[in-house]
Amino acid sequence: MATAEKPFIRQDGKDKVTGLGRYTADLDMTGMLQAKFRYSDHAHARITRIDTSKARALPGVFAVITHEDVPDVRYGPFVQDRRLFAKHKVRYEGELVAAVAALTNEIAQRAVELIEVDYEPLEIVSDVEAALQPGAPLLHEEWASYGASEDVVREGNDCSRSTILKGDPDKGMAEADIVVKERYVADMSHAVPIEPHAVVAQWQGDRVTIWSSTQVPFIARSGVATTLELPEAHVRIVVPHLGGGFGGKCEFHYEAQVAALARVAQRPVRLVFSRREEFLAPDHRREGQVLELETGVRRDGSIVARRGRLILDNGAYSADAPFFPQLAAMMAAGPYKIENVFVDASLAYTNTTPSGSVRAPTAPQACWALEQHMDSVAGQLGMDPVEFRRLNIVKNGDEGPTRQVFEDIGAAETLERAVELIGYGKELPDDEAIGVAVGWWPSFGIASGAYVKINGDGSATIITGAQECGTGAVMALPLLAAEILGMEPESFSLLYQDTDAGPFDSGASGSQTTFNNGRAVMAAANDVREQLLDLAAEQLEANRDDLELKDGAVSVKGSPTKSVTIPELAEAAHGSTLLLGRGADAVPEMPASDAAGCTGRLGMESFLAPTFITHAVRCKVDRETGVVRVLEVAAVHESGRVLNPIGANGQVEGGVVMGIGMATLEGSLLGEDARQLNPHLLDYKLQTASDSPPIHIGWVDSPTKPGAGGPKGSKGIGEPPCVPTPGAIANAIAQVTGARVHQLPMTPARVWEAMQR
Amino acid sequence: MRYDATLKVNGRAYPVAIEPGRNLLSVLRSEVGLTGAKEGCDDSECGACMVLLDGQPVNSCSYLALQADGREIVTIEGLAGEDGDLHPLQQAFLDQGGVQCGFCTPGMLISAKALLDRNPSPDEDEIRLALSGNLCRCTGYSGIVRAVQAVAEQR
Ligand code: FES
Ligand code: FES
Repeated sequence: MATAEKPFIRQDGKDKVTGLGRYTADLDMTGMLQAKFRYSDHAHARITRIDTSKARALPGVFAVITHEDVPDVRYGPFVQDRRLFAKHKVRYEGELVAAVAALTNEIAQRAVELIEVDYEPLEIVSDVEAALQPGAPLLHEEWASYGASEDVVREGNDCSRSTILKGDPDKGMAEADIVVKERYVADMSHAVPIEPHAVVAQWQGDRVTIWSSTQVPFIARSGVATTLELPEAHVRIVVPHLGGGFGGKCEFHYEAQVAALARVAQRPVRLVFSRREEFLAPDHRREGQVLELETGVRRDGSIVARRGRLILDNGAYSADAPFFPQLAAMMAAGPYKIENVFVDASLAYTNTTPSGSVRAPTAPQACWALEQHMDSVAGQLGMDPVEFRRLNIVKNGDEGPTRQVFEDIGAAETLERAVELIGYGKELPDDEAIGVAVGWWPSFGIASGAYVKINGDGSATIITGAQECGTGAVMALPLLAAEILGMEPESFSLLYQDTDAGPFDSGASGSQTTFNNGRAVMAAANDVREQLLDLAAEQLEANRDDLELKDGAVSVKGSPTKSVTIPELAEAAHGSTLLLGRGADAVPEMPASDAAGCTGRLGMESFLAPTFITHAVRCKVDRETGVVRVLEVAAVHESGRVLNPIGANGQVEGGVVMGIGMATLEGSLLGEDARQLNPHLLDYKLQTASDSPPIHIGWVDSPTKPGAGGPKGSKGIGEPPCVPTPGAIANAIAQVTGARVHQLPMTPARVWEAMQR
Repeated sequence: MRYDATLKVNGRAYPVAIEPGRNLLSVLRSEVGLTGAKEGCDDSECGACMVLLDGQPVNSCSYLALQADGREIVTIEGLAGEDGDLHPLQQAFLDQGGVQCGFCTPGMLISAKALLDRNPSPDEDEIRLALSGNLCRCTGYSGIVRAVQAVAEQR
């Protein structure tokens, strides 16, 4: 009997290990052309002339398009501040000015270079604090006229401002015995999926099919429909295997530009990004942050007040980042009992590539700052940092920063288990230390749907709008349906990755697939289960209430010989009765909070089914060179009920290693001209197999109440693992060196410099 | 100007006519029609394009196709047995959670095979070192290392 708790081998696995599975860049079509983009030549400039005539005249070129060749539509999920191609101004180095489709990549590249663009350069704004100074040059002079969601608080270069307020922080701070104030800066970094972006578009009449390496096919479809002014029914997005995403392939990216090229060229067109483009124009990178944190404590270690001022980097345009300030403000408060809180967070426009959700957006950076700050406060109190957290971490019945009351949580247990797993307090060589950090992360409740269809031979197909970027979240859906139908998960096929097939789903983002689509699949399975029971009642001439469905057959309770198998029912139904379950499940309600004093409310004022995480790391620091080596990690998570342990452990292992990279190596350097100086893997280094330490994983089982979380009381799994890793490493570094590193990533040079202060 | 060459890929000969500047990866992916080897960076940093050339792992994105003329090339598509049975490494990658998005997997498997061919019982450090030219962003390498260990132990 299949259960959702047993390990399970992914259905797409064989395709992937044999090399036969197709990814977008592997697709080829008769007559297919290659696309190249002409990017802006400046990070900030007014365009005075665009002349494409020489590019058009080049033999082998089929299409050259600019803003003139597409509808004049501004788009953006929160603030509609951008167009498919630059019109009057360019605002970052990766902005698109024109696109070319030609017979070969080489011809397309030559054509791109033949496009003449004249500019009038403008003053560059690349520093978030400078961007918010009065008199700073505005990136978007016409910001006030842009369409935007009502709840976004905007002013000039501040694209979204949020505050959270609890109690009276000024009074609280005045009452504190000790006040610690610190400043931290995180550099921008990137998602870096190993597969670069790719898009293929082909028209049939007035309808277009677009194969895209997107995490969010339905959002891509509505983006194409909006910007090219087409009905959604005329746009079909298909996602072949997706080679990782981590948020870098969320949002609607280049599907519309490639579709527009294919329409002009009257040929299929393929775009494949180089690694360099993947850095310069991903349209979704992890934002830099400047964080000022101030905490007031009593001598007994209780936290009486927290104030914070955060400035996040939006980049030149708004992807989904406008909800980040509120999320980051919650992160700056953290999963701790604090009597009085005020955090003020802004999102500044700068002349850099747009920010957007990258695996647990805002959290690893903010948690890195906060958890170092917590250790600093503990130091001032003369208290052990774990003891300080033990005192203040939220437990059942405690209130969060917006007075959300926590229920069924296991935050404190993650702390205890993690320090136990790593052997906190054990004797270590003097160049080694253990650092601990705690984090939290919300689950995202979003509408989602699925169908479950019983095939003629009794096998089944799940048709879902959900998308997957490799995590295995979609692959695990058959486990949920199989259990309800008394079938084996292996008897299910999956149809996903196609907007013409499944119902709407918000895609592989926000760790939401199991959480939301899992509930939808269960509802669909229950629906078709009812249909099977109806049919069995007819076949067995029995009372429906006397029937039970078990082990692939329906039988009359108490007389097991009177039974009919699902294949027999499928055969009986074949051609006359439709065995098709439809499922959508109500989105869980957001927990109550008191957000009366909060501004810029974009849905983060309370955390639905929050995950709690403690990571403890043992690091070695070379005092001569500043090189940090992570020797061992203990990662303990409370993610409600874990449904697929192989998948969940894989998320932790990958997320921890990504977190180590963020902590020690990964950051983009910007030149004076606001161009990235290291847009390639030689100077933007990822962790390798030999850098990666052993990881001990623990799960605290703490299912939510029914209706308050995902299937069976589960919570989101994919994003939390990268949240507390950089903070834990930072604390270990400070334990060894006695110096705090105030800038992320904590490169050897920065660690060494901190030691010299 | 194109030159005639014969690429021997997974035991089959492919006559091709190619420009001298073409890299092996692009010829494998277009003329030969095997898209298992992936392009993740085009400058020898990620290992997604790795193939065996006379038994040695090379990044095919940085190898001139003409230099492979007449030599034995094995791509990921050549790993499984003729009857379609998975190579033990392929099965172990599935069993041990060594595959998520799968984009690094072809290069990883080639790299792992090259390791076990020259050292049938590597220890964990040797495995990690041998795989350090192959970047994986999804798995944190743990599942991949477990998979190689599992196969090494069986031998
Ligand atoms: S594509 Fe060859 S090493 Fe990255
Ligand atoms: S499985 Fe995705 S990069 Fe390795």
